Amino acid sequence: MTLTRTDVENPLPLARALVGSRGRGNVWLMLALAGVFMAVGLASISLSRPSDADLWAGFAVWIVCALGAALVLKWRLQSHDPLLLALSMFLSGWGLVAIERLAPAFADRQALWLLVSVLAMLAIALFPQVLRWLRGYRYSLLAAALLLLSATIVLGRNPSGFEHAPRLWLGIGAFYFQPSEIMKVILVAFMASYLAEQSAAFRAHADQAPGAAGLSLRLIGPIILMWLLSMVILVWQRDLGTAMLFFIVFLLLLYLSCGDPRLVFSGALLVLAAGAVAYQLFDVVQLRVDIWLDPWPEADGRAYQIVQSLMAFGAGGIAGAGPGLGSPGYIPVVHSDFIFAAIAEEWGLLGVIAILCSFGVLAWRGLAIALAQRGSAFHRLLAAGLTLTLLVQALMIMAGVLKLLPLTGVTLPFISYGGSSLFVCHIMVGLLLRLSAGAR
Amino acid sequence: MNIEVTIFILRLIAGLSLAGFLLALFVVIWRNAGGAIQLPAAAGFEQGHLTCEQPALADEAQRYSLRPILTMGRAEANTIVIRDDYASAKHARIVLEQGRWWLEDRGSRNGTQLNGETIASRAILADGDEIGIGKYRYRLHLNREYTAL
Repeated sequence: MTLTRTDVENPLPLARALVGSRGRGNVWLMLALAGVFMAVGLASISLSRPSDADLWAGFAVWIVCALGAALVLKWRLQSHDPLLLALSMFLSGWGLVAIERLAPAFADRQALWLLVSVLAMLAIALFPQVLRWLRGYRYSLLAAALLLLSATIVLGRNPSGFEHAPRLWLGIGAFYFQPSEIMKVILVAFMASYLAEQSAAFRAHADQAPGAAGLSLRLIGPIILMWLLSMVILVWQRDLGTAMLFFIVFLLLLYLSCGDPRLVFSGALLVLAAGAVAYQLFDVVQLRVDIWLDPWPEADGRAYQIVQSLMAFGAGGIAGAGPGLGSPGYIPVVHSDFIFAAIAEEWGLLGVIAILCSFGVLAWRGLAIALAQRGSAFHRLLAAGLTLTLLVQALMIMAGVLKLLPLTGVTLPFISYGGSSLFVCHIMVGLLLRLSAGAR
Repeated sequence: MNIEVTIFILRLIAGLSLAGFLLALFVVIWRNAGGAIQLPAAAGFEQGHLTCEQPALADEAQRYSLRPILTMGRAEANTIVIRDDYASAKHARIVLEQGRWWLEDRGSRNGTQLNGETIASRAILADGDEIGIGKYRYRLHLNREYTAL
């Protein structure tokens, strides 16, 4: 990265310990602090649940993952951005503790997924061919992902086994996977590589008529077609949160590559229009919007979950009730979409601020990496697209849980329970690590 | 040990480790923000420099690259520290605005001279201008592609 200064200018030893020898973050210090934070949380949980001896298995897995990943990256990928690893391990470690607290039965499974995810992240960070494959085989990859996604219509299952629950998973034995999660990476890579190839055409248009950048259908037709196809499948499957996420990321990437501000305004109008149509068509959207506008008449009925979530935020206060000492169990299925409310109750406003800061810094580093990709428009758009996907997803669910936006059922990246989500978030971090170290 | 005391200690440690983690993040942001200001000079886009012409002192750096904001004065915090009794602590600064370099007087007691004349508040700079503060004289050298603007 070009933004670093030499340490000669910084004489304070404390500052040097905080920023590390390269001035880009001290991964060891941050992982150690995250580990202490997790250990203290688990100890506090074990006090409220003395009989449970199995509590520390996930923590052991986390230590192995964090130290292993940090060592491997230090040896094999010297110039990577250390904040990415520190933040992703901090957030997923916090997620492990929260899941251990909220749904102990799922904690071991999540720890296993963390191990798999970190291995995948390292594999992607260490092998530069992955970026070439994402670009070279983009149509095949997208077709395969669409196939998997449409397979959920016929073969889809839901691990919870409820009759009316959305069937978004593909299952083999005890192993479940959500194709819409992996679609995030593949769709962003597809859009980035396609838009990168058109960037010369975009620029030529902009030169001819400044202000009216070229958004001709010929340029972006194929991309809209592919995107519509995946949207149809997602809407068919009622995975509306993911559909909304794709919509927003698609618009942002289009804006980044052509720079026409009208896109943002018309995009916002389109989102509203799509919301209005969905309100008429889907009961679930109608429900979400209704309880967003006024949850209180149905506080013990259809709006129970969101009302309990708000109460959890209130009960948490500034410092929180303490891990294991609150009662977030009142929120139904709190360990997946609503995990942010549980964190707000047990770690309080301070914990919420820490999580917001972590996502904010993650987004800042990701966009800085995108800016530093001078050679390749594909790499720049890919880094920006992956970062924006993580950021928009985190904002959507955090705002949803706080009733700032209608609730959209997406996971909180790194923290929520869910193997596919954890896996894909780490794949994104792996790609960003690769790009931060220089893609060649 | 009393369980409430234990929990209190645990929460204290949790809060401290969380605060330490955030502090480490913010120090990195702080340093990167500082580095961004220095980026143009570091990347070889030096747009010009000042040389000290009077009095000629061998032990001081006499060439200063132009930065988007360059401050001059007697205080140690300035980019160019002027050790002259006639210089104010915050005497003047050179800023880049709308593609032009401006010399601004920061309310100094004895005024700032541009080519021998005291400026009212601010003035546009051109290649070869002479800036006078106290008994010091600085010559401005703008790079060729930059003077065209």
